[in-house]
Amino acid sequence: MSCRQWLSSALRQCQSGLAHQQPRTFSTSTAVAKEYRGRNILPDRPPGSGSGPASRARSRARSGNINEALQVMVADGLERGGQLSAEEEQQVMVDSQRGLGQHLKDLRNHATTDNYLRQMPRRWRTGDVYAPRDLSPTEMSKWRQGRRPLKDVIDVFGFNPLDNYKNFSLISEFMTPMGRIKHSAETGLRPVNQRKMAKAIRRAIGMGLHPSVHRHPEVLRMARHSMPVSSIPQSSDSSQSRL
Amino acid sequence: MATRSVSPGGALLRASRMFSLPDPIPAPPDDGSAGNFFSNTATLAFPTHQVITTLTSARKQGDWGLKRPLPLKSTTKSSNPMIRVKAIDTIEQVTDFTSATDHGMTLRKFQELGIPITMRRQGTDSSTSSIGLPEKSVFENEYDFTDIHPDKRAEALDKRWKFTGPWLAGMSQGEFNEWLAREVRPKRPQFREFLKKKIASETHGTLARAALDKGESAPPPIDPSSVTDDQLIDYVRKLRHNNQALYDMVGQFLDLAPLKPPTTAQLGLPSQNTSNLEYREVSNPYAEHGPPITHPSAGISYLRSSMYMENHPIYGPQKQHSAVMARIVRPRRQAQALPAKLGLAGFIVDTPLGDTAANSKSAAKDIYDKIDPTVVGGAKVWVQPQKARVDSKGRVILSVGEASTEAALVAQELIGNATCLGAPRGENELSRRGTTAGSLRARYRAAGAPPMSSAQDYGLRP
Repeated sequence: MSCRQWLSSALRQCQSGLAHQQPRTFSTSTAVAKEYRGRNILPDRPPGSGSGPASRARSRARSGNINEALQVMVADGLERGGQLSAEEEQQVMVDSQRGLGQHLKDLRNHATTDNYLRQMPRRWRTGDVYAPRDLSPTEMSKWRQGRRPLKDVIDVFGFNPLDNYKNFSLISEFMTPMGRIKHSAETGLRPVNQRKMAKAIRRAIGMGLHPSVHRHPEVLRMARHSMPVSSIPQSSDSSQSRL
Repeated sequence: MATRSVSPGGALLRASRMFSLPDPIPAPPDDGSAGNFFSNTATLAFPTHQVITTLTSARKQGDWGLKRPLPLKSTTKSSNPMIRVKAIDTIEQVTDFTSATDHGMTLRKFQELGIPITMRRQGTDSSTSSIGLPEKSVFENEYDFTDIHPDKRAEALDKRWKFTGPWLAGMSQGEFNEWLAREVRPKRPQFREFLKKKIASETHGTLARAALDKGESAPPPIDPSSVTDDQLIDYVRKLRHNNQALYDMVGQFLDLAPLKPPTTAQLGLPSQNTSNLEYREVSNPYAEHGPPITHPSAGISYLRSSMYMENHPIYGPQKQHSAVMARIVRPRRQAQALPAKLGLAGFIVDTPLGDTAANSKSAAKDIYDKIDPTVVGGAKVWVQPQKARVDSKGRVILSVGEASTEAALVAQELIGNATCLGAPRGENELSRRGTTAGSLRARYRAAGAPPMSSAQDYGLRP
């Protein structure tokens, strides 16, 4: 239980401070007193009940006599460091169970939402018109698979691929991860531009500007940057070396 | 103007669907923002074909006014008969038609909202800075005109929405290159003639001013053909060093849609490179995001103002227009930074801006965050439709605000889901009193009044 741990550490700190009787401990004790004030040790106790030792310590700390507050706190900590009463234990158990239940429920909701969203891959844009049919599984499944682009991107952007043989991110776009040139059925380029693009790729590989077996290391690095940290394989991962 | 007399057969033929159906308009332009993920059967952002319907009795016989009756099996089940005809006749001798309920019902639902189409406010690029500001209707006489004399087109540049030339900021580099080669280059001789006319009028203007200063009569106008080639070359050289004047000339000649010059920050160039460029202030509302491809209202709403009050039969005039239910089409995904999308009257809209429930992260409003399969019909929220505009690609951009609690409650009461002010529902009161015809008659008879006239009195029943 974190509350007890915190109290015991605070107690150790205060005891050492009191034992050495150094003026330097004032700084620590102020911070402790402040934290003590800010933090509610018993969350289920109403703040109005001012007869407890905690409130006594608080009022004393507020009055400025820090040493006195500290002593009260130490005494309080000593007396609270013992066994929890039966009703306190019950409260703690209920609290933790409720928190766990809520957390599990959230997780379950999240998983359900993710599962449903996986079946709704369409990225809606503002101004789209939808009919009930557009929300149906048949229609939604069409948004899942990528298709060849409708337009020739090189014509749209109006550049010459042969001038861009040094542009490794462009070259990587038109290559498979295994280093093969993508077919025009995949790239959607018209024959003239497909030939130019293929020539630019061959040129880049021939000049040693682009690897011929996989993506460019800079492209891999950028892809790694956009990935969530947890999905990046660690170099010391044993499951990787087992392959 | 006298109408041309048409023979009865000709009039019938003209009024027939075969001849009165308009040609389909081009499909919405694909801007490629959806990437390679698209569906070719999805509902388009605007209809391309005319939607036609027919009367119930005619529909039972398959009569839609087309060349041949349509099959009853596929056309008589719908309660909202709407079809679009792709081809009146095909080589297989069938009429090619599909259901048009998607766009037809969307139009009906939109018109039920009762909001006018407005113009974008000029100078407000971000949508957050102009949340509550009033906007102008697209039907304002000041802005809504297309009949302009060709010589006056330049003067109306700040108000017009229709231009024969393209909007350069919306073209990609490849499109621009092609346009230059195909449209602009063949027009060089005409542009020289245009410049000569300008030189002639400018020199005449200076001569006339000088003559006026001296108290002499104005000189005769200069013939553009008398302008020499040397004068033209000098003028072109001068123009090349004045970017704004050059753009004005080119823009007038090609009737280009106005452009909003980018700010220095948007250019991303060092300021010494751009400091010698001069721009004139452009106040056309379509300069920043492009002129519309149709009339700016797109014909979906002819309302001019939303400044009217709705009246409730019991509670009187309402402060807000009636709230509407919007479907949460896609919940918010914070991991992918995707905002929630709402569906209102068949249009996808953004969630309300500002400090609203849709933008808070509290657990109480996680309706925007999750899909709850136990909710029948999907999650819905009450919103207040605020304004609508048609963007340069012909899409309807609705904006909604959060519905106030009172407006939502009143709207809920109208559909019978809630009660306001603890008042009993109207139909409950009726049923409790039990005022049927039979009970009335019984009370009348019990009072000993003379017998009421009935079917028997009139000899209709033995």
